[in-house]
Amino acid sequence: MQPFEDKIDRLLSKLPYDQPPEERQAGLLEILKEELDYACQRHAGYKNYIRHWPRDYRSAAQVADLPFLPVGILKANPPLSLVDRDEIKRTLTSSATTSQVPSRVVLDSPTARRMTKGVVTIVRDFIGPARRPYLVVDTPSFLGGGSELGARGAAIQGLQPFASEVTHCLSPSDQGDLLLDRNRLREFARDRQDAEVLVYGFTFILWNHFVKPLAAEGICLNLPKARILHSGGWKRLQDQAVEKTVFNEQLARVFGCSPDRIIDFYGMVESVGVIYPDCSAGNKHGPVFGDVIVRNPLTLEPVVAGEHGIVQVCSVLPTSFPGHLLLTEDMAQVLAYDGCPCGRRGISFRFAGRVPKAELRGCGNLESKRLPMN
Amino acid sequence: MSELIHTVHSPAEISTGAAKLRQVIAEAEISPNEVIIKFDSWAKSLDARELDDLPGIPFLRMWLRRGTLEPIIARELGPNGLHGSWTEYGRAECKAFPLGVVGHWPAGNVEIQPILSMTCALLGGNAALVRIPSGLVDLTQLVMERLVQSDPGERLTRRIFMAAFEHGRQDLQEAMAQVVDGAMIWGGKEAVLQIRALPFPHWARVAVFGPRISVAAMDAGAWSSPDEQKSWCQRMARDVWQFDQQACSSPQVLYLERGAGQSTVQFLSNLQHAFETENQAHPRRTIAAGLTSAISQARASWLLNDATHQAVFPMGPDWTLLLGSGSDLPQPIQGKTLTVLEVDDLMDAVSKWDGNVQTLGLGMADAEKERKLALLAGKKGVDRIVKLGRMHVFVPPWDGVDLIRPMVRMVRHVCSRD
Repeated sequence: MQPFEDKIDRLLSKLPYDQPPEERQAGLLEILKEELDYACQRHAGYKNYIRHWPRDYRSAAQVADLPFLPVGILKANPPLSLVDRDEIKRTLTSSATTSQVPSRVVLDSPTARRMTKGVVTIVRDFIGPARRPYLVVDTPSFLGGGSELGARGAAIQGLQPFASEVTHCLSPSDQGDLLLDRNRLREFARDRQDAEVLVYGFTFILWNHFVKPLAAEGICLNLPKARILHSGGWKRLQDQAVEKTVFNEQLARVFGCSPDRIIDFYGMVESVGVIYPDCSAGNKHGPVFGDVIVRNPLTLEPVVAGEHGIVQVCSVLPTSFPGHLLLTEDMAQVLAYDGCPCGRRGISFRFAGRVPKAELRGCGNLESKRLPMN
Repeated sequence: MSELIHTVHSPAEISTGAAKLRQVIAEAEISPNEVIIKFDSWAKSLDARELDDLPGIPFLRMWLRRGTLEPIIARELGPNGLHGSWTEYGRAECKAFPLGVVGHWPAGNVEIQPILSMTCALLGGNAALVRIPSGLVDLTQLVMERLVQSDPGERLTRRIFMAAFEHGRQDLQEAMAQVVDGAMIWGGKEAVLQIRALPFPHWARVAVFGPRISVAAMDAGAWSSPDEQKSWCQRMARDVWQFDQQACSSPQVLYLERGAGQSTVQFLSNLQHAFETENQAHPRRTIAAGLTSAISQARASWLLNDATHQAVFPMGPDWTLLLGSGSDLPQPIQGKTLTVLEVDDLMDAVSKWDGNVQTLGLGMADAEKERKLALLAGKKGVDRIVKLGRMHVFVPPWDGVDLIRPMVRMVRHVCSRD
């Protein structure tokens, strides 16, 4: 057992958003340095990368000075691993919506355990600890039983610790489409008008296969205490010109609940155990066992509050692959480095879409949209 | 925006603009010499401190000079071509006539390319209908204002119609193609294919300057020379910096031929210093976030995938040197990311090319080897072989073709009397 594992567990047992930023930085920095040492011992290529980083991580004074990996590096196959093959319990794969190649991250038992605990700690802060009936707007087949798990399956599974029973209301058709099982849905909703229920679906699946057909028929499930969580991004809905407010209103109308019972969260399989739900102020926050840095594309230094940049996610949870410090392919705006009206401490930020993919230009007539930088 | 660059909304605006250009051409011929007089004056007006920092302006100043253009006219249009006269060839005589209205589809990432492309057509006596990519409107406007000052009688400016519209406006692209007699198309593969498919008149001549990459190479005698090492490194850095390494003539890779008992350590240290110096003198002011991601990805995959690889880079995406060995042509990254590969024999590297390399920038101490290398490079599709530091010098033939001649008709007259 590595010495940092105890420290990670101690962080996981804390309230996720209570620590002042400076205190959180110090705790994370210490563990991340130890994890970098460990990763360098386990992977010659990673060690080579760290050795060439312009700043020596051992003398770093802040998490932002530590060497980060671009998330695209996790598309390698075989996946980047810091553990022996026989220690790998599961491989998570991303949905690969913006590229054809999915990311693949390997989980050993300790990382898998922390992943579950991390998600539970975060979600509990938003919906409370109780177990309740769990409606999954997806098919049971998506969880699979094999050694590989996709992003949808990982999200569904991540919420199971809050479930007293699980109902899946979609089923696959022979043509591979998703069909809404109305009988099962009616059965789930029956006699639960006063009960707390948990609902999860991928954003575009909720809209296309649940909200649209039910709203078209004017159906209301009459579940005013439903807590609806969704994730997976907005790109496909933006393609259909569906705004977030419209999505929330329609979804709430179908459930018969208030729109403020809907929580959109961002998660990526590469950042195992850390998700970013919207708070009541509409912002996102990093938990005590992770952080978010938004970097200026021109300098790769952290932006000041109010500015946009490329998102870097930090997490002490993974030790089976080098996913501690990942530069993502998403953009965000930092609203503040502390003091969100919701009361959660640390950075508050909002996502602002994907980083536009750079195309190779050879006197190419591909007009670049450049971000003005201060 | 003034009338220099028209923000175009409808196909009718383009056809009206083209009709006016056609009328101007019909009213009066203009000889290359008259054009050069205006250009020379334009070049002088661009010699202003406030324009110095604009990308490509020093380059444009040099291109517009009489000393640059006269030899090009003589070579492409014949010894009497400068004054628009007939040139005798035995019993025949030839003279260049303009095609008419030449359409220009410049690249969006090379700042002065709309202007450069346009000047090629004007030198042939043509009128120019130029699409200005949205990101280049401001710079083009500044440069064109200086031309207006140098051309009070509007001899040249009346022959120019600049149209700004979004790349995706297929109706406007088609309208532009329908009214031209010639086209100069600069672009990536997708853009070139898209523009070539536009409904040009059947007589229109089309010159395509498509996507290519460029490569640098040095023999051991050059890179190991203590007296010249720093100078070579400065040249290399300048070639990388110009156009943010996004032009087809920008070097993406530098091959260093190994020499017996010689280490590249000192050379690479000088190269790093040259990059740092160039970056201080010409820092980036903006960057596309996608390019930053691509640079970060390139650094990581280079070092992770092979533990023997090395690299030098600052914290930001300003520049990157990826160091290794081998004769394969690596994937270009751009954004001032130069892959430096040690190779046993430069001929091995060149022999693997497949026609995608446009320019080979050379630093060679061995003249005989350079001749052999140039011959092999030509066979392997390279169109320009130049000294390092001069990889972007815009002198025809470019991409293996002339720049003015494709947009003129060479009319041959054989006297009917014996």
